[in-house]
Amino acid sequence: MVTDVMEPQTEVRPTVATLPFWANPRLGLLVVIAVLVVVFSSLRSSFLNVDLTIVPMQADLSVFVVVGLAQLAVLSLGHMNMAVGRMAAISGFATGYAYDKWSAPLVVGLLVGLAVGALVGALAGWIIAATGVNSFVVTLAMDFGLLGLVSLLYSRFSDGVAFHVRPAGMDALRFDTFSDYCSGNVCGPQVPLVVPIALVAAVVVGLLFRRFRVGREILMTGSNLRAAALSGIPTGRRIVQAHALSGLLAGLAGFLLAANNGAFSANIGDQFLIPSFLGPVLGGTLLAGGAVSVIGTILGATLTEVIQTGLNLLQFQVQDLNVFIGLILLAALSLDRVRHVLAERRGARI
Amino acid sequence: MTVLERFDRATIQTSLRSTEFTLAVLAAVGFTVLASTTHGNLLTADTLKALFQFLAVPMVIGLAQMVVLGVGQMNLSVGVLTGFCSVITAYLMVQSGWPAWLAVLAALVVGLGVGTVNGLLVVLTRINGFIVTLATMTIISGLRYGVHGTATFQNYSPQLVRLGQGSVLGVPAIFIGAVIVAGLLAVFFRRMSAGRRLLASGGNPLAARLSGISNDRSIVIAHALSGLLAGVAGVFIVASSGSVNASIGDDLLLPSFAAPIIGGVALAGGVVSVLGTCLAAFLIRLVDVAQAQYGINPRWVDLIVGAVVLGAVLISQLRSRVSGGSP
Amino acid sequence: MTAEGLVKVFPGVRALDGANLRLEAGTVHALLGENGAGKSTLIKIVTGVYRPDAGRILIAGAERHFSGPLDAQHAGIGVVHQERNLIPAFSVAENIALQVVRSRFGFVDRAAMRDTARDCLAQLDVDLRVDRPASDLSVAQLQLVEIAKALAVESRVLLLDEPTASLTPEESEHLFAVVRRLRDQGRVVVLVSHKLEEVFAVADTVTVLRDGRSVAEGAPLAGYTRGEIVDLMVGRAHADISLAARTVDETAVPALELVDVATASGHRDISLTLRPGEILGLYGLVGAGRSELARALLGLDRITAGTVRVHGAVARIRNVGDALHRYRIGYVTENRKEEGVFLQQPVSRNVAVTVWRRLARHGVVRDRAEDELVNTYVDQLGLRISGPRQLAGQLSGGNQQKLSLAKWLAADCDILVIDEPTVGIDVRTKAAFHELIAGLATSGLAILLISSDLPEMVTLADRILVMRDHAITGEIDNDHRYDTVSQAVIRLIHSDTAA
Repeated sequence: MVTDVMEPQTEVRPTVATLPFWANPRLGLLVVIAVLVVVFSSLRSSFLNVDLTIVPMQADLSVFVVVGLAQLAVLSLGHMNMAVGRMAAISGFATGYAYDKWSAPLVVGLLVGLAVGALVGALAGWIIAATGVNSFVVTLAMDFGLLGLVSLLYSRFSDGVAFHVRPAGMDALRFDTFSDYCSGNVCGPQVPLVVPIALVAAVVVGLLFRRFRVGREILMTGSNLRAAALSGIPTGRRIVQAHALSGLLAGLAGFLLAANNGAFSANIGDQFLIPSFLGPVLGGTLLAGGAVSVIGTILGATLTEVIQTGLNLLQFQVQDLNVFIGLILLAALSLDRVRHVLAERRGARI
Repeated sequence: MTVLERFDRATIQTSLRSTEFTLAVLAAVGFTVLASTTHGNLLTADTLKALFQFLAVPMVIGLAQMVVLGVGQMNLSVGVLTGFCSVITAYLMVQSGWPAWLAVLAALVVGLGVGTVNGLLVVLTRINGFIVTLATMTIISGLRYGVHGTATFQNYSPQLVRLGQGSVLGVPAIFIGAVIVAGLLAVFFRRMSAGRRLLASGGNPLAARLSGISNDRSIVIAHALSGLLAGVAGVFIVASSGSVNASIGDDLLLPSFAAPIIGGVALAGGVVSVLGTCLAAFLIRLVDVAQAQYGINPRWVDLIVGAVVLGAVLISQLRSRVSGGSP
Repeated sequence: MTAEGLVKVFPGVRALDGANLRLEAGTVHALLGENGAGKSTLIKIVTGVYRPDAGRILIAGAERHFSGPLDAQHAGIGVVHQERNLIPAFSVAENIALQVVRSRFGFVDRAAMRDTARDCLAQLDVDLRVDRPASDLSVAQLQLVEIAKALAVESRVLLLDEPTASLTPEESEHLFAVVRRLRDQGRVVVLVSHKLEEVFAVADTVTVLRDGRSVAEGAPLAGYTRGEIVDLMVGRAHADISLAARTVDETAVPALELVDVATASGHRDISLTLRPGEILGLYGLVGAGRSELARALLGLDRITAGTVRVHGAVARIRNVGDALHRYRIGYVTENRKEEGVFLQQPVSRNVAVTVWRRLARHGVVRDRAEDELVNTYVDQLGLRISGPRQLAGQLSGGNQQKLSLAKWLAADCDILVIDEPTVGIDVRTKAAFHELIAGLATSGLAILLISSDLPEMVTLADRILVMRDHAITGEIDNDHRYDTVSQAVIRLIHSDTAA
């Protein structure tokens, strides 16, 4: 006979009082972003200079939003993807290869890369689901493995380091904004062409987890694996799918980065790991799984990007940026903790 | 079933013995194979020395990670903290003119201090150790450059470098240092009550708490120890390489996990294996040496290590499943 | 030790309402009560986990206030919980001596540790090598180690919470020998158990809790019969509980039929027939293999022999999804917190998780469809929630259990396997649950009820199958008369010992 040894009332509960709670971190982020924009632009008016600052910022932001989404895809399960960077790299390799050796058009190359990314992600997911090994370890090992593989592939198939061939349209992605496309006298806004791609990704991911059965089942799997299995959810399949999505998004992020830089090289994704966590975590997505916030991720990535751009303009060194980013992360999390504790104290039970 | 699940984890203890044994066998076999296929090249004094010389730092880094894994935590800042301590040591000697021993001491204090901060943050904010150390890793990676920018430090304390690059009876000094560190850790975890308390906290936090052990203190101590060991590794680097710069540590994070994981340390906590971690570091080093001897592209090493880590965990997973829980 | 007038109130429920517990040295004291009567709360107060809102605790006449579990321990109160609290990687000796281990200059005194351990084990007359790692031991041995550990910290009062829950009869006997030894040493052993046979076999005195109060305080057990004790626990003349009579159509095609089924977990020759509208009870002690059989049925374990038929047709159930979507079999798990309910998810998702496939149009689930579904079952089950978005973790045990059930009702299952439905639920809600389950059967569901709660079984089941050691030892037609049916069941349970 099983008796409840730990009646939950007075124990620390990880649950949250009521859902409106989620609104808070995002609103807070928005406020902080607004404040920072004001601060930076008053310190350096060039912050608001569209061509010099805003446009490149949007382009970078697009990459980091997608990177954050890639991590979010597995955070939904309560997993981690330590190999987001290398998945982006190998996906980039495939795309670059397609452009270089097959002279593929822009979209085809992208699709090839996405497919490769999804496959690698699926492999990771499959290993995790089949063996039950911690996702941290599996993706860490994969990261190691892919690190070697990507270098080897590039040194064998490209000029040693990168693919420089650019298909039609790539330059447009890199340099154009919508303001370069006019019909009559009406021109588009000064938004880089890569931005809609990131937006579409965000919308798709958001809808997936919000509305689609598959997304919900993934979240339930993340919330409680055993309960999910006992509720008829094909948990193994969902794990593979979530990781495949992660790989695919990593690949997309790699593509966007390559588009921004003009070449596909082996070090794509080198800097993806930390931002992949920063966006979602700042945005309120928990490491424990079961709940994600796409909007939060976008805001979190925006905050990071605003800080980096602002500090850059204030001529802080790249390395100093890291210090600030880290401090902000700690501060944000501590605040979140405080909020949690306060909400718990006020929480009621039926 | 929950009663038994916790003990499934514990069968790792018994499989740990066999992991250590397996690794020892692999190490011996690997060494022999390498020695014979390189026509004895491996056994020359210089090659051997290089083998062990460059084993010291990965070993200590692996141990630094192992310590926090023992309480069920992770320390992502291990790599960059090592670099930070290296740079500080060099800076103090070159720019501030401190004597070597004092600079070394300062570096160790810094390592210990940062580790303690990590631990306190985890305990006070109750935030996942992964995220906390992710944040501090970010901060420290930037702070490294704050010490002296991107400049390289050289020509500091020739005595220190002589010690670092020297050897005793043909065995590299820093390797001896690493072995001493490993030995001390082994004693700590096997014999000292503080170490046993750490393992109790990692093995069953609830039981530990009900037995009067403070899990919070265990976490702080583990992180502090981890930071200290990172500092030791940093000092080793300063002493043995003769020149340091702020980029040290960027590539040390993944190896810091590879060694303990291959060495049989469970991510869940409660179990450590100094021997396993060292043997695993040795094996990885062997692969490195093989790569150099045969002229294999170094990237293959990464590939192999990745596969081995995965394999190691798979095997331990399978083993604990087969032997199951108590009847 | 004496606990007087203890009151403990939690939001929404008065767990203890003036409970008393008087313990005399050198006795084995049974603490009885239905789930929800307040036993575990009382234990937690006495062991220092909770602080009482009113009342006091006296030890040897002196009033004590415990600041935490350690404090209670230092006062001499030891407890062995249902779940094991040992360090798996440590040896037996180290586990036993964990709190009292001495260290010299920071080094653990291994020899002293071993001596202490051997000493404690000897007091219990238990033979175990102290250097063995705890992970090597069986559940029964681990329990003994925990008792030894309580001795090491010199507990005068030892609380054993459902100690024989995971033990075989032989191991239980051994445990009782240990308990008697402890009593003879002048300690007090408080035995918390649901198994009346054991209580009567070992205990000297008894306290019965009901609805947060003590209805029998420290009375000598010899003065009561089993029936009287049960009456005290339940609070009403334990006559035949009458629910609306149900009839089962014997001629209908069985909803579920197992013929000579064997499984990978060791079941053999399992045959049963379950008709629509019928409640078939599966009774047995822990370890009998009932839940494992249910899981095999759901595809979570391999069926190695025999046939399973659903509504007459041979069924091959490969996984839970199959069972649910193809054969409309649902399983209400016994571990509602770990497996039955998604604590961090809102009620709406908890209910709709099994039916998203049906609710979805082109893969998309509309929140409104979910909410409508939820409202239906909230009403039907009498679920008390503040809204469909409330997180499941905030509901009380009873409501969570209802939630655990709701998703299967939502999925329109016509065969339901219910595993230990009213564990940890207060008496009133339990009765409501029984009515609910009976109602489901009346509306045509075929229910396989797994329970260790004999009164519950007698109340609900039409027929009772008794399981032991992964096999069915017999079947009883239930006329809902507790005395006769319970005797028949107990006889089947102990069928190969002298009846």
